[in-house]
Amino acid sequence: MKITNKVLFVVFLTGLSIYLVFALNPEGAPRILLNLFTFAGIYGLSAIGLNVHFGWTGLLNFGHASFMGVGAYVTLLLMPHAAGREGEITSTGLPFIVALIIGILSAALFGLLLGLPAIRLRGDYLAIVTIAAAEIFRLLVRDLESITGGVYGIINYTENLQKYRPNFINSLSESSGFSPSQAWVCLVAWISILITVLFLKRLNSSPWGRALRAVREDEDAVRALGKNAVWLKLQSFMLGAGIAGLSGVLLAFNYGSLETTVFVPLLTFYVWAIMILGGVGTITGPIFGSIIFWVIISETDRLAFLLFENANGQQLAGVRFLLVGLLIMILMIFRPSGLLGKKEELLLDVK
Amino acid sequence: MLDQLGNGLLLGIIISVASVALSLLYGVTRIVNFAHGEIIALGAIMTLFFSSPVDYRVLFLDKYSPLGYNFAISCILAVIVCGIFGALLEIILFRPLRRGNVGNIAVLVVTIGLSIFIRHLYLLFATGKVQDFPLELQRRQTYLFFDMTPRNLNVLIAGIVIMLIFGLLLTYTRLGKAMRAVRDSEELSSVSGINSDNIILITWISSSMLAGLAGIFQAIINDVRWNMGFLILLLIFAGTVLGGIGTSFGAMVGGFMIGILVQVSVGLPFMEGHTEAKNAVALGIMILILLFRPQGIFGQKERIS
Repeated sequence: MKITNKVLFVVFLTGLSIYLVFALNPEGAPRILLNLFTFAGIYGLSAIGLNVHFGWTGLLNFGHASFMGVGAYVTLLLMPHAAGREGEITSTGLPFIVALIIGILSAALFGLLLGLPAIRLRGDYLAIVTIAAAEIFRLLVRDLESITGGVYGIINYTENLQKYRPNFINSLSESSGFSPSQAWVCLVAWISILITVLFLKRLNSSPWGRALRAVREDEDAVRALGKNAVWLKLQSFMLGAGIAGLSGVLLAFNYGSLETTVFVPLLTFYVWAIMILGGVGTITGPIFGSIIFWVIISETDRLAFLLFENANGQQLAGVRFLLVGLLIMILMIFRPSGLLGKKEELLLDVK
Repeated sequence: MLDQLGNGLLLGIIISVASVALSLLYGVTRIVNFAHGEIIALGAIMTLFFSSPVDYRVLFLDKYSPLGYNFAISCILAVIVCGIFGALLEIILFRPLRRGNVGNIAVLVVTIGLSIFIRHLYLLFATGKVQDFPLELQRRQTYLFFDMTPRNLNVLIAGIVIMLIFGLLLTYTRLGKAMRAVRDSEELSSVSGINSDNIILITWISSSMLAGLAGIFQAIINDVRWNMGFLILLLIFAGTVLGGIGTSFGAMVGGFMIGILVQVSVGLPFMEGHTEAKNAVALGIMILILLFRPQGIFGQKERIS
């Protein structure tokens, strides 16, 4: 990435928002910051995956939550866990890393299954199909209570990841007073981002990445040059879905229990907001977007608490969604390419 | 299975009216309006606002409510408010976007943001709780081969009559013809002396009024919730797609088919004990229709590019 004024501005903005957390929270800033960075990492990773779909290939995917869900559910169900109202802890299961890889592959496979028929649809139809498929996935998971725990969810799985927690995190969290388990999830999330970004950067400058961007710009030209445009789109769909699957697993480990309500369409819209904020079509944009987004969100919660005295918890949570909606609208109207994106790389008239 | 038919017809009328509204808007402006559900909720919330009696608690709104108007008048006022809201959306938001040549996809994303924004405004300022209209409870009665309350039967009949009148107006009046002309080509219709901005404004107003009516129906049959529109939005898409995007009579029939399908599927043998998944059936059918017959049952192929 070349150091341009735009990049400097974004780095400055990110730094400013982190400083704001310290300025606004005289007490407990490290703990808030850890929570924030964990969510920012996980959602940022998911937004990177979405950017492969929308930014690189121009696919209008509104079912991102289902890819995260497939990854999370497959991974957790393969490991020792307890599901359902009176679920007993299963003692057998695969080790974390094996389950994780199968989970990511399943998310990618789900992307293939959904993409195979849907990829030929034009933009707005693809949006409707993906959001409907995500809802079907959520309803089915909620319905299959014997396996997935239904509305009662899955618990008792965090130890699968936490047993690999290195010692220095324990000593670090003792001195600064934050939860060691969340610190470990946070670290894993940011390591995953690092690996994903390096991988995508390599891909982006490969012939494959160039062909993919060519599909976005002019599908017919790509076809005329002998490339299989549909297969390229499908590969991009699988790649983004796999990345989303990984972030879904991390999200589950951050929550400590997994329920279907996590994967409602609003999750997808969160990720969309982060992607647009960071920069459509860029690789690192969503990371900055995610940090700035989560600072705004977490400080909004405090502000809402002060503004609306007699509101209940549900309504307080509503304030942050209010802001997410406004953010999506304003960005899409005034700066659809986000903070880091290039306008000429944006394809909004996908047919 | 047949005992669910009454419920199916009632869900059908809600989806049907809302689908006609969505289909009309899409047909003329090519906007896939995700904020449609919020206009539906506005109809219900406004009716509650106008009609709730003095001792009725509507969170935050209770400072301004209670107006305690007659229920029928409240419904009409609510539908008018929805129409004004639709007009404001067009004038403030969507007309400038159209002037600025913002693409269809960007507009779609804008409507999603708008939907989230308005929905949570309702949550904050209208009601976080489930509310009922101030109407007395009624007992179900059996008509022919389905049973429902007399009030819901009236809703069903009123909805069908309104949709039929609306459909006939669209087919035979100059306004309806002008709408179809704008749909086919905005530029060509402008050349022939049609003020396309006005036609689109009228489309927004009539679509929003119909959506508000659907919301009132939904609230009479079920209840008022801040997210009631979003809960039913995907079923409305399904109804619209099934009948054929851009056709009013198609959307009407498609809406009924989806409503009956959702409710009757509860009674199917393989659905036993899986009532949670009933919406999944309708959404699955929508996906299949989009894949294999994107023009829907009644749509014409050449209108789908």
